[in-house]
Amino acid sequence: MRVVTYLYLLYLAAPIALLALGSFGDGWTNTLLPTGSTLRWYEALWADPSFARAFRVSLVVCLATCAAAALIGLPLAYAIYAAAGRGIRVAARILYLMPVAAPALVLGFGFVLVFSSDTLPWLGTTWLLIAGHVVLTLPYLMQTLVADMRHLDLATLEAAAESLGAGFAARFFDVVVPSLGHSLASGLIMVAALSIGEFQLSNLIAGFLSRPYPVVLLQAFYGATGFACAATMVLLLLAMVASLASVAANRAKRLMA
Amino acid sequence: MSIAVDHLGFRYGAGTAGLDDVTLEVGPGELCAVIGPSGCGKSTLLKLVAGFLLPQAGRIAIGGTDAGSLPPRARDLGIVFQNYALFPHMSALDNVAYPLKLRGVGRAERRRRAGEMLERARLSAEADRHPAQLSGGQQQRVALSRALVFRPRALLLDEPLSALDAAHRADMRDEIRSVQREFGIATLHVTHDQEEALSIADRVAVMRGGRLQQHASPRELYDAPVNRFVAGFVGHANLLDGTVTAPGVVTTAIGPLACDTRTQTIGAAVVALFRPEAVRPAPAGGGTNRFAGAVLRDRFLGSLRRFDVAVGDGVVMVETASREAVAAIEIPPASIRLLPPETTNPRGS
Repeated sequence: MRVVTYLYLLYLAAPIALLALGSFGDGWTNTLLPTGSTLRWYEALWADPSFARAFRVSLVVCLATCAAAALIGLPLAYAIYAAAGRGIRVAARILYLMPVAAPALVLGFGFVLVFSSDTLPWLGTTWLLIAGHVVLTLPYLMQTLVADMRHLDLATLEAAAESLGAGFAARFFDVVVPSLGHSLASGLIMVAALSIGEFQLSNLIAGFLSRPYPVVLLQAFYGATGFACAATMVLLLLAMVASLASVAANRAKRLMA
Repeated sequence: MSIAVDHLGFRYGAGTAGLDDVTLEVGPGELCAVIGPSGCGKSTLLKLVAGFLLPQAGRIAIGGTDAGSLPPRARDLGIVFQNYALFPHMSALDNVAYPLKLRGVGRAERRRRAGEMLERARLSAEADRHPAQLSGGQQQRVALSRALVFRPRALLLDEPLSALDAAHRADMRDEIRSVQREFGIATLHVTHDQEEALSIADRVAVMRGGRLQQHASPRELYDAPVNRFVAGFVGHANLLDGTVTAPGVVTTAIGPLACDTRTQTIGAAVVALFRPEAVRPAPAGGGTNRFAGAVLRDRFLGSLRRFDVAVGDGVVMVETASREAVAAIEIPPASIRLLPPETTNPRGS
């Protein structure tokens, strides 16, 4: 059992370790490991304007996606949780989980078809990229929020608030939003991680000047190996920061409960 | 302030469960416990009074004014929920201060009043803790403080003790009683625990199948239940189907029982009720209502001993402090109460 675990860990870690080595390696042709050591790939990456722009685009899209997902997801999750009929809840669940089941490629083609028309000529804009990321990441946020609402027994908390004299607005802002604070935070970190790493949809709908980091990264693979490794390491670092933050948020939540 | 419900009716969809023609009044300062098996309508009654459900028939008055169509927040009721429903993101103090905040009380004033409530609940040291850091009993006391801090017109308790372990339940029971007395507030206490109801309430309402069976003081409920259901639900009971065969005699499965039959006619079907503690172990031999029998199950419960005796074709449950072997039992005629036979319609008084 332990052997299997270690082998699997090795299998997971090896590519990352090789990428890390390669990003500092001077040359890497026809050898198992790279030769020499240098920082020039990172320097080149830093100096490359298209990567710098992509990095900025990714951050902007990520933040905007988080904001939009929060503003849409919280009321939507609340509406689904509070929906009267069980049938409605199940139907809403299937609907909002659809983007998880449907390949992002399908969504991308749909976007290309609809938004390359003359009536809706928005293909290639950052706004459309953000909209696409919201569609893809919202299910994960919704899932977290609805589960937490059920776990907290939000309906009873609201009944209590109402018996104490709270109207709808007071209940929503005094009880619903703050008691969901932790799951909102951990859900949004997941949204951020997904948005930063998203490639399939972005590759299809991003405009040339609004390409996010993963899309530009693909171009790097056609160039020097060390440069590609360094660019991947940067993405990996970003994703790791997001997932570590997610773990930390979850731990904080468990400590509170 | 009082709570009065008048011919209250409610039905969930096309189902049968709900509430059927319930009339009940809880006077000022009175604690009324509502008991009954699950599905009897007690929770529905509470939700209707609280305003979480709207009645389809009848009226609800709180403090003498009609409240049947008011939303819950306008009814001015303190409610303690089964799982306390404390706000997890607020400290104990903020929880208690929240209803005052909603009523526009200034920050300093509401913190002072909430602090006072926590002090009388002996929770001053825990004021800044969050609910997750409090024990069940402490959460319960915070919930009770929050429900009372704004001086509501009436108090509703929804199974408030069911989440506590047995050791704390009795203490909390006394605490609820003393706070309720102190505030002199009309209280509706829904519970499935008849011991809790008998020990805490001024009057107890027994419900079954959406109907009120009997509304009386705990003592009256125990001593003079109106029907077989109430007799069986409140305390332990021997209930024997029988027929009045002669003046002063009811024939049952255990044999002829001598008892007062003046309210009955000869040939009437009745249910004979007598409590296990009224039955006395006796030496074998003749005597009024003396029956020889074999002990079936003998349970030693510390302060008392409860055993079943097979007599004739029936079984009699006996409670006694005596630890002697038993050969016969005696049922004092005065302890026997005749109830109407069970009808299909469990309509009570």
